[in-house]
Amino acid sequence: MTLILERASYRYPGAREAAVEDVNLRVDGGEILGLVGSNDGGKSTLCLLAAGLAPMTLGGHLDGRVLLDGVRTTDLRPGQLASAVGILFQNPTTQLSGTTRTVYEEIAFGPRNLGWPLAKIVDRVEWAMESLAVTALAARDPSRLSGGQAQLIALASVLAMAPAHLVLDEPTSQLDPRGTQLVGDALSRLAEQGIALLLVEHKTDLLERLARRVAVLADGRIVAEGPASRVLADPALQREGVEAPTSVGLSRALARHGLALDPGLLAEIGNPGTPDAGHPRSTTAR
Amino acid sequence: MTTADARAPRLPDFVVRSERRPYHSLNPATKVVIAAFEALLPFLLGGWAGGAIVLALVAASAAVARVLRELLVVAAVTLPLVASILVINTFLFPGATDPIVRVGPFAPTWSGLAFGLEVTLRLLAMSLALALVYLTTDVDDLLADLERRGLGRRALFVVGAALQTVPALIARAGQIIDAQRARGLDTEGPFWRRARGVLPLAGPLVLGALTEVEERTLALEARAFSAPGRRALVRVPPDSPAERSLRWLLALALAVVVMLRVGGRLG
Amino acid sequence: MSALVSLEAVSFVYPDGTPALDSVSLSVRQGERLAIVGQNGSGKSTLVRHLNGLLRPTRGRVIVQGRDAAELRVAQLARTVAVSFQDPDRQIFSGKVRDEVAFGARNVGARGAALDDTVVEALARVGLDGAAETNPYDLGYSSRKLLALASVLAMKTPVVVLDEPTTGQDARGLERVREIVRAMPGEGRTLIAISHDLRFVAEYFDRVVVMREGRIVMDGTPEDVFAEEGWPTLASTYLEPPLPARVGARLGLGSTPTDAALVQALLAQRAVNRR
Repeated sequence: MTLILERASYRYPGAREAAVEDVNLRVDGGEILGLVGSNDGGKSTLCLLAAGLAPMTLGGHLDGRVLLDGVRTTDLRPGQLASAVGILFQNPTTQLSGTTRTVYEEIAFGPRNLGWPLAKIVDRVEWAMESLAVTALAARDPSRLSGGQAQLIALASVLAMAPAHLVLDEPTSQLDPRGTQLVGDALSRLAEQGIALLLVEHKTDLLERLARRVAVLADGRIVAEGPASRVLADPALQREGVEAPTSVGLSRALARHGLALDPGLLAEIGNPGTPDAGHPRSTTAR
Repeated sequence: MTTADARAPRLPDFVVRSERRPYHSLNPATKVVIAAFEALLPFLLGGWAGGAIVLALVAASAAVARVLRELLVVAAVTLPLVASILVINTFLFPGATDPIVRVGPFAPTWSGLAFGLEVTLRLLAMSLALALVYLTTDVDDLLADLERRGLGRRALFVVGAALQTVPALIARAGQIIDAQRARGLDTEGPFWRRARGVLPLAGPLVLGALTEVEERTLALEARAFSAPGRRALVRVPPDSPAERSLRWLLALALAVVVMLRVGGRLG
Repeated sequence: MSALVSLEAVSFVYPDGTPALDSVSLSVRQGERLAIVGQNGSGKSTLVRHLNGLLRPTRGRVIVQGRDAAELRVAQLARTVAVSFQDPDRQIFSGKVRDEVAFGARNVGARGAALDDTVVEALARVGLDGAAETNPYDLGYSSRKLLALASVLAMKTPVVVLDEPTTGQDARGLERVREIVRAMPGEGRTLIAISHDLRFVAEYFDRVVVMREGRIVMDGTPEDVFAEEGWPTLASTYLEPPLPARVGARLGLGSTPTDAALVQALLAQRAVNRR
């Protein structure tokens, strides 16, 4: 399970300049690679490229290669592509099919298209709903969900297709802290199962918790890449339009006054999971 | 279903949704065939009889299905069309020589009125027969049934998406109106004031829909919509041998009427 | 000072029977910056829709500048309370950024040169001054969100309501939003914002209201609301106190909801230890 971008440059149809230029990235199975950068820096385009939709569906021009387990995305047919890589788009409402009457059938839409037998579809749909704690929404009309609910259902619809590679464009943008936590937990579990995840996020606190490595995209180019703890603590990050994680901001505020906290203490307090009276949960998520 | 997994999957009740109300519970294809039969019959029979019989039939079915009130609303909506057909025929029926009254250049005729009534009766019978299908059938039931019968998935998707987009669009329109009102657009009070709300509404609705088309296409592709091969149906509306026979019977009856009609014309 | 806007025991039930607000009372004074936090579905958006009459209480009263809101149309209330919603795409309708910003301002009476100045100023505040002639749909999502914010600021209402102003913003956008929030009291304006970002809330707001299942379960300064005694209540609605509050509590420093408060507490502690 490996997702590789090799000297990948992409121009939209009719565009003179490349939206993504000379990008080298590698995401291995079991790993979450965080991608940050200012808005309009090319993150969403990179997602479409990694998921093969650019250039397959969008058109435009790709130089270099995007490889899923060694196979170029441009060599895959639409159906094959969808089962090889899942993508969650930024806007949750536009990715719902608009033809289903219940959330349950909406989540089953992708698995049905993959030609699976009904029993497998049912299993995957139920698994996806349980992973994101949305089983209670199963009977609801997908067109009448709130933004946050729609985002969870869109993600469940992608997970139900059991892709080996997953590309997520701000999956928690409309979620409350509880929803963000749920998605974070689900993504860690997927990584543990060996899936390769590329995660675009503004919430660097979440990346600090989930991602082993982080890459920074600016004007379509990767300007930094490395271990999450190092990249996210880099003072240059703010200049690229990326907000530092809370813990980094706090450490800096303290340092300005000659103060410092024991890093062990900060890590422990900084990442306790939701303090959750009635709902016991692990406090050692890592 | 293949034999790969013999265990019957447990689908939740809200997906399976067995329809128990009378008439509603007929297979969608049966309702469509009945409606087609009812819609064509008045035109094939000619005269008053066909329209009258079908109208009575449709009204009786609607009463059984307990949607008579909704059907009357549909009938009311067709009133302007009915009225215009009546007026045009009554006043402008070519060659009629039996005026009801004469007022200056206007000469409504009895034969025009009679013809107008006959035509509107047929049109009404046809539209109400079709409306009854809509009133007693879930769109996705119909689409699922058609998909099972092997109709093109893409075409069905387009129809389904279009039909189900309407309520979503209405909801969205409501939100956009609210956003404009929150910025001081006055939509309360007299009609002209409310009409001013239309322009701000149309903009984001159309633009939003247009910009979303590309995203929707990409999302469909990402969900393997264009992958070849058959899809397992999550839910299949029930059908029965009796209903199948009924559909064949109606088709046969229609063919007979057509032949008699054509034969009658020829003879 | 008397309340500028207040809710008196407001309950609201949606037409489909879903209860959304349960006897909510809240009064907001001039110049206050009030943050409303809580889970999705806790009633935050329903509450702010009562402030400008988009929703009318099933029971209870809404008072705006001393008048019962029930006597006023939405368009009249919009002269006092301007609301920007979460999704800019359900709001923006003009073909040009400039016209979009002018729309609300014109509705509340701005004309001529004053209107032009207002538009220019509002666009500059969100950093879109270079984009006045652009089609809003050519802007990215975060810029459209800032545009929606500008179009509400330009109305120059005494009360501004923002639903999730920080979502989808990068560091630059966040800085714009923060500057606007910071400047509100100095302009004599009152800000009410819905947010999930408790760090933002603790740093920039004077008062925090926590909602759960249609009720207000906490109401106080960030120091009060994020103090350790309140954590069980916060946890019951899945909210986690900001990091400095957690650090301060662990170190026995009392309630330190912001970086600055924690720094102060640590410096004070050091001074005590030295003595």
